[in-house]
Amino acid sequence: MSSTSKSHGWKSLLLSHEFILFAVVVAEWIFFYFIATSKNYTGHTVGFGTMDAQFDILRHTCEIGLLALVMTPIILTGGIDLSVGSVLGVSAIIFGKLWHDEHFSIPAAICGALIIGASAGGLNAFLITWLRLPPLIVTLGTYSLFRGLAEAITHGSITYTGFPDSFNYLGQERWLGMPAQLPIFVIVAIGVWLLVHRMTFGRSFRAIGYAPEGARYAGLPVERRLAMVYVLAGVVAALAGIIYTARLGEAKADSGTGYELFAITAVVLGGTSIFGGVGSVHGTLLGVAAVAILKNGISLAHGSTEMADMLTGVLLILALSASIVPKILSKRPARVQTVPSTPQPTPTT
Amino acid sequence: MKRILVLLLTAGLVLSGCGKSDTGSSATSTPVAASGKKLTIGLLPKAKGNPYFVSVKNGAQKAADELGDTLIFDGPTNDDAAKQNETVENWINSGVDVIAVAAEDENSLSTPLRKAQAKGIKVVSFDADVLPDARTFFVNQATPQGIGYALMDKAAELCGKEGEFAIITAKLTAANQNEWKKYIDEDLKKNYPKMILVDFRPGDDDKALSQTVATELMSAHPNLKLIMAISSIAVPAAAEAVKQAGKVGKVNVIGLGLPNENKQYVHDGVTNCVILWNTGDLGYLTVQAADALVKGTLKPGDKSFKVGTTTYEISGDNILLGQPYTFEKSNIDKFDF
Repeated sequence: MSSTSKSHGWKSLLLSHEFILFAVVVAEWIFFYFIATSKNYTGHTVGFGTMDAQFDILRHTCEIGLLALVMTPIILTGGIDLSVGSVLGVSAIIFGKLWHDEHFSIPAAICGALIIGASAGGLNAFLITWLRLPPLIVTLGTYSLFRGLAEAITHGSITYTGFPDSFNYLGQERWLGMPAQLPIFVIVAIGVWLLVHRMTFGRSFRAIGYAPEGARYAGLPVERRLAMVYVLAGVVAALAGIIYTARLGEAKADSGTGYELFAITAVVLGGTSIFGGVGSVHGTLLGVAAVAILKNGISLAHGSTEMADMLTGVLLILALSASIVPKILSKRPARVQTVPSTPQPTPTT
Repeated sequence: MKRILVLLLTAGLVLSGCGKSDTGSSATSTPVAASGKKLTIGLLPKAKGNPYFVSVKNGAQKAADELGDTLIFDGPTNDDAAKQNETVENWINSGVDVIAVAAEDENSLSTPLRKAQAKGIKVVSFDADVLPDARTFFVNQATPQGIGYALMDKAAELCGKEGEFAIITAKLTAANQNEWKKYIDEDLKKNYPKMILVDFRPGDDDKALSQTVATELMSAHPNLKLIMAISSIAVPAAAEAVKQAGKVGKVNVIGLGLPNENKQYVHDGVTNCVILWNTGDLGYLTVQAADALVKGTLKPGDKSFKVGTTTYEISGDNILLGQPYTFEKSNIDKFDF
């Protein structure tokens, strides 16, 4: 696409999905800045426009953002991982249990949870690559399996709490003026971006997404690459589980329920094709921002949660249509030109 | 040329999309004006679709309308502790004056509530308390004593103060039930010497088991006049057992339960009544207390709280809703939870 319109680089930039989405994010931000910021009767500015609100949006979005980041390479390969929310939950529970019942130190319990996340991702990878089962079905199964495991460990009722303040700091406090979990998110974001856009891995993900058999014939280690993205998703989901636990100060079996769908929404909104092959990590970040600003902005404007959910759906459909429309429009005249031999040329244009 | 056209069209589409969402949202949410005494109250349920909390909200809205306050009722659609925290944090940023919560989890919700208090936002809890340092008052819907006495008094009234009755509980180790049982025993010993508690059996919060237990109780005690079920699952189970045994009218059922699952039995005359609290009143009192706390008419250390003509007792930092409410044939249809 970019090769055909190299001379019109700025136009293709303006028409690119990422740019349109960026404009939407900016428009959302400005919109909520004006409608959801006000002065209370003591004269203090409250609402969306305050630094506190902006930082809280970042805190609320960190876990979903992490899941969306690692979902991007998976969807690029034409796969999907529905189990990330459940991996988040089971890792949080394992972390809590190791610390509370087994008296592990916090760093040791974190390592334990990350190992569980890697194993969970490894199970997905095994079933998908060695048994060649469709990712949708495999992760639909492990989605229930891991959530069930979290509930079995806690009997659905125990919540692990009473973590030291030094641990909760990670989810609740400020570090150098910013939410303490933000640096972790930034590091993961840079890491995934480099993986997808600056390494040969990224090209192999797209190749697998376009045509897995073609990629195999081209000599790409398809199985190893697939295993890599699913294990990475497991580890980062476990990391998100730890941050979630720190944010709430407790580990619960239902942690992260439904987060996989938010993550997929953000990835697709960010322009990654659900069929694989096309997409970008910065697009995903914009997708996360678009959803997060909308949800929190509506809440700060005292709108209801249902309205936020509905508008997220509308945003998804609008954004996707907006990037499709130019393609349709540019194709239409081309089609007219390919059928010049029609007996009755249309008089109206 | 074509490309410029496409560009313009796209820009138009994006702009019109934004324009639409502008008008749509601003109609529903106008910025809060910096007015004097009109308060904004955030009411956080455990789950906003739950009919129990919807009925709480109806009472709360009534109080807010009377006071001229703005009530925001928002929270998770299912019991989700993380969403509760996020709702509170957004309320802190958007500058509500007072927050009233029913906690899904007392530990995790206490963190953002302490943050709210540090920013000068008042906090009360209702229905399910948070940690005491994270709120000023807890609006307590019912004390174990109130429930125990209400159940025993009702049982004695239906039996004519004499005769045999039995209790079906949840599990023998259930803390709430044992607390209520303590006061049932106290009331029984003090006030009803001719009433005999013949059996106290667990139904394990299981419908089938509770029903079996009720059937066994009736065959083991032919003179049984009443079954009191103190687990909400056991009330309709006991009623079903009585109905199937053909003992409607001979053995009465009462219990602690929700109106909806007992409505049919109450209308059929199997169950005389279920006892709980009036959820609308709970919402009403919560908003009144929240409002008064901000305006300074309710302070820590107060011994009572007056709303209109009703005076509510305050025990420590618990505002007591008062006597439990009896849902019977005449009023049960007014409630939907």
